[in-house]
Amino acid sequence: MDDYDKTCLESALVGVCNIVQQEWGGAIPCQLQSTDSLDCLERLIDLNNGEGQIFTIDGPLCLKNVQSMFGKLIDLAYTPFHAVLKCGHLTADVQVFPRPEPFVVDEEIDPIPKVINTDLEIVGFIDIADISSPPVLSRHLVLPIALNKEGDEVGTGITDDNEDENSANQIAGKIPNFCVLLHGSLKVEGMVAIVQLGPEWHGMLYSQADSKKKSNLMMSLFEPGPEPLPWLGKMAQLGPISDAKENPYGEDDNKSPFPLQPKNKRSYAQNVTVWIKPSGLQTDVQKILRNARKLPEKTQTFYKELNRLRKAALAFGFLDLLKGVADMLERECTLLPDTAHPDAAFQLTHAAQQLKLASTGTSEYAGYDHNITPLQTDFSGSSAERM
Amino acid sequence: MKIFSESHKTVFVVDHCPYMAESCRQHVEFDMLVKNRTQGIIPLAPISKSLWTCSVESSMEYCRIMYDIFPFKKLVNFIVSDSGAHVLNSWTQEDQNLQELMAALAAVGPPNPRADPECCSILHGLVAAVETLCKITEYQHEARTLLMENAERVGNRGRIICITNAKSDSHVRMLEDCVQETIHEHNKLAANSDHLMQIQKCELVLIHTYPVGEDSLVSDRPKKELSPVLTSEVHSVRAGRHLATKLNILVQQHFDLASTTITNIPMKEEQHANTSANYDVELLHHKDAHVDFLKSGDNHLSGSSREGSFKETITLKWCTPRTNNIGRSVLLEQPRKSGSKVISHMLSSHGGEIFLHVLSSSRSILEDPPSISEGCGGRVTDYRITDFGEFMRENRLTPFLDPRYKIDGSLEIPLERAKDQLEKHTRYWPMIISQTTIFNMQAVVPLASVIVKESLTEEDVLNCQKTIYNLVDMERKNDPLPISTVGTRGKGPKRDEQYRIMWNELETLVRAHINNSEKHQRVLECLMACRSKPPEEEERKKRGRKREDKEDKSEKAVKDYEQEKSWQDSERLKGILERGKEELAEAEIIKDSPDSPEPPNKKPLVETDETPPVEKSKGPVSLLSLWSNRINTANSRKHQEFAGRLNSVNNRAELYQHLKEENGMETTENGKASRQ
Repeated sequence: MDDYDKTCLESALVGVCNIVQQEWGGAIPCQLQSTDSLDCLERLIDLNNGEGQIFTIDGPLCLKNVQSMFGKLIDLAYTPFHAVLKCGHLTADVQVFPRPEPFVVDEEIDPIPKVINTDLEIVGFIDIADISSPPVLSRHLVLPIALNKEGDEVGTGITDDNEDENSANQIAGKIPNFCVLLHGSLKVEGMVAIVQLGPEWHGMLYSQADSKKKSNLMMSLFEPGPEPLPWLGKMAQLGPISDAKENPYGEDDNKSPFPLQPKNKRSYAQNVTVWIKPSGLQTDVQKILRNARKLPEKTQTFYKELNRLRKAALAFGFLDLLKGVADMLERECTLLPDTAHPDAAFQLTHAAQQLKLASTGTSEYAGYDHNITPLQTDFSGSSAERM
Repeated sequence: MKIFSESHKTVFVVDHCPYMAESCRQHVEFDMLVKNRTQGIIPLAPISKSLWTCSVESSMEYCRIMYDIFPFKKLVNFIVSDSGAHVLNSWTQEDQNLQELMAALAAVGPPNPRADPECCSILHGLVAAVETLCKITEYQHEARTLLMENAERVGNRGRIICITNAKSDSHVRMLEDCVQETIHEHNKLAANSDHLMQIQKCELVLIHTYPVGEDSLVSDRPKKELSPVLTSEVHSVRAGRHLATKLNILVQQHFDLASTTITNIPMKEEQHANTSANYDVELLHHKDAHVDFLKSGDNHLSGSSREGSFKETITLKWCTPRTNNIGRSVLLEQPRKSGSKVISHMLSSHGGEIFLHVLSSSRSILEDPPSISEGCGGRVTDYRITDFGEFMRENRLTPFLDPRYKIDGSLEIPLERAKDQLEKHTRYWPMIISQTTIFNMQAVVPLASVIVKESLTEEDVLNCQKTIYNLVDMERKNDPLPISTVGTRGKGPKRDEQYRIMWNELETLVRAHINNSEKHQRVLECLMACRSKPPEEEERKKRGRKREDKEDKSEKAVKDYEQEKSWQDSERLKGILERGKEELAEAEIIKDSPDSPEPPNKKPLVETDETPPVEKSKGPVSLLSLWSNRINTANSRKHQEFAGRLNSVNNRAELYQHLKEENGMETTENGKASRQ
């Protein structure tokens, strides 16, 4: 840590800010403790979009009051989050760290921040390859804890210097715990457990190794909502494979029901025509021309490209293009070498004529759903065979 | 972005009046002559798009970007205006795709240059736009229904993007006034209607477009509030690619988008397979993907956003994966000022959709966490990892897209079915190998795998029965069983004891499911009829006892097993009780019926001094007391017993005895006095 001027709060805050961002990135909440005049701090909080809280010492400045102030801060910001992890009847008491932050879905429709349940209920399992790398709000360590009858934490089972705790932890370490079983199997199988965090809010549990020896049970929170991961579909529509007519994973575990295909393909997953840049239009025209020169072998592709261009030109009201391409095809016809297949000339003339009719814009020929079909010639039977 | 912000509803109003048929005067060469062609051919004359074509093309591009990034909940209504308004689609989700809009536009066709200009006006379209903004969308309707009394939280805002050719600034003013007036009128109408909503906020974006090379008759004007409901901005843009660029900037502003250029993408095509040719692609995405750059101030943006030019893009380098073990994903590298390189993003494809993921490249706050093996249950080494893996595979999820109905006709939620199945499959599920016998036996698998099902087929029942007969046969032949000897003293239980333990466990498993169906009941009946029992137990059974496995505690060898067993039972019981399923619990709890015999040996199950004497005299020990005992024992190991309790008589200790003895004084009720 660098030294900053201790009397100037502003430079100190800039310093803290830099360190925090360099080290942990910009998505981390950060607590500041300071002693300064109250207005100044209130303004500071306003600057931070009202995020934050001022802790003041009640009564005279003495050890007890300072302790109680920090006690409040600890209660507010550092209270461990205890939960019960459940998978049917298998359960474990856990601590989730860091404490999951409340989440506001839409401040207008749903202004109350959502907090996660203290019952984390596993609803089923999915292969890691299927869930892929989903976007998450936050990641948390899930630590099994031993609770005594009153629900107070006895320990996390981690060995400590304190001797009493040590023995308690040793016992806790030897009692079978569901978290350890779950973690082990998730790791071996390469799977994640889908866990319900609240109404229409889910997350996943998985094993994460930070070194060869150390490995942990982690929980990631998805964004609240009915469909946090589009390739899984709606969470409520996920059900047990035993309800399916046949196992969607195959008898040899060689297939998967995921990813789900979106109802409407994205524009980049289909052949959408965009002529905003001249190069887009030129490429499309060139494609037609290339295929025109290979008629009749490329009859199908030729007409497919021709119809794509025709549709777009009609939608954009770009009838001049249809005329232009018709002229071009007619010229191609005159340039056909003597060796050309006789069908090529027939098809080019036919296509040019059809485009010209469409360019008149009259509904008879300019129907959007109408397609130009290859001219049936005496040769077309044999040309079809060659395709 | 709030769901019902201005971006929820976008109305495009495109001018279809005769002057829109004019050329934009920007030429497009479409006849690109290929090399090696016959000399002397003059290429065809270049063509140019009309103002209409430019407008339609640019607005379709706006929609394409919007639909690609927001496939749902961001809606467009397309209106064309000439002698009247032509509304090309509706707010419904089915109407929200490019194909529908393109088909509708083709039906409209280009404007007719010979039509009477006096009859045509953009005003028709603007009026229709206001009207359509008052119409409720399915999302608004759904949210209102869901919020019930809070329905007013559902906002109704929208944006009108009007592309026209205006005559002058005062003409623009007239259009604005018209929109404002129409909103006022329609809000009055909507106030008295159930299926219309008042417009709370309308953002009017007027785009004046004119042929390249002409002077603009309209001046640009930034966003201005015309009334609390209406804001308006005016953009004067040359047609052709300038108009397309403008709408590209607008779509980014309207939907909080940002641009990333991926560089160094290797050519995949055959003709480039052996070259090092690569290319760049610009992607638009939600600007949150740049949040780390913006926060860290590590801007290596080209250009600045000050004039709203939005020309900036962040450049990331494609990292060709060496091994393709991360599926359809590619990591993206961010060149930093310092020259160091950081992998900051990932592109991945899921079902044909491309996602840009922000990766965390900074230090984790979960640094050096303790390993799970160091925590609770971490020292246990015989977890049924493989079995639980099998359990997980059986409880994998799969999508059920078609609605399914329960017998009572109500909608069945697949996820609830998944939870139900987990509940059934875990009713009896020992976590460690030494806690179970039956799950270590191959011979039990045919029964164990089907008994957890909701319903059994006749064949299932038959298989279960076969399994039971097979076990009887094994017992007759005296086959050894995989009984755990962990924690037992000596050689472990004798063979007949082993079978008793096995039968008890199997019975526990089957009993946990008898309420599933009548067929499950039949499996239990078969089990009860076949399983071996010492004669005295047979006797007891006749006297109405359901269970006998808590007895015979005199045998030392059994004791340890019983402890394990009862622990398992109570674990399960705990789960059941928590679920409040009384009918299930009943099957598990041993009732202290009045005619229960006294246990043959009163030796307490757990030899601890803490066991309350009451428990000892109560006949067969209930699971609850077994559990309590267990907890008490565990707790007692953790602390030294309070001296007072150790010396207590009937759980009552006399306080301040020493005072009596030493001083002969009466004990005072005041605590302070005892300090003397």
